[in-house]
Amino acid sequence: MSTFFLVIGLGLCILVFFVLYRVVFGPGVFNRIAAISAIGTKTLIILLIMGFVYGRVEMFVDISLVYALLNFIGVLAASKFLEMEKEL
Amino acid sequence: MIRSSEDIIIRTVSRVLVPFIQLFALYVIAHGHYSPGGGFQGGVILGASLVLLLITYGPKETRRHISEKSVTVFSSLGVLIYSGIGVICLLLLGNYLDYGKLSGILHVAPAEARALGILGIEIGVGFTVMAIMFSIFFDISSGGKPPEDEKE
Repeated sequence: MSTFFLVIGLGLCILVFFVLYRVVFGPGVFNRIAAISAIGTKTLIILLIMGFVYGRVEMFVDISLVYALLNFIGVLAASKFLEMEKEL
Repeated sequence: MIRSSEDIIIRTVSRVLVPFIQLFALYVIAHGHYSPGGGFQGGVILGASLVLLLITYGPKETRRHISEKSVTVFSSLGVLIYSGIGVICLLLLGNYLDYGKLSGILHVAPAEARALGILGIEIGVGFTVMAIMFSIFFDISSGGKPPEDEKE
């Protein structure tokens, strides 16, 4: 079962790089913000899978909760910044 | 200057979410010895809840919840709790922050007194970090200018 979670986690890690391409080269700011949000969601799942692999899920659930909250606030702050800077 | 958001989805979501974020921050502070976390991390989460309030409801509404005066009081109170526990240990003929000596006034075993002392330190750190995080974000977002209604 641990190998299964390891493979799934590695697959998600590879998928992050595809989204990272959209962050770096993506046309426009909104693509970048959406891609950063997607990377945050993937990181959350990868953290939970790491918890399964290490056998300490209850510890990693706390970290991923914090990550989800800060991801939400970060995306909200970035879009607020865009609202203030009209010319972007 | 950050204006308050008119979007009903963002306003409702953050109004529902802020108490849960603060509850989770208290959990992180209180369970710092068993799970990842502690005073600094819990304080940062508390500060993040206030930052969410600020970017959703604007500075005027946020100042109604936590004013400049209470930011000052909280940031000093945390340092006072931290150094106060340390000085109490000094007065009980121990080293600075030597929590084992606290068992004399708490009437518990020295090991339990150490756990309580560390919890007190983390509460102090949490207060200070929350106030300073919020203060940094507020001052940067307002450009250092005081709002019009708060000139006294």
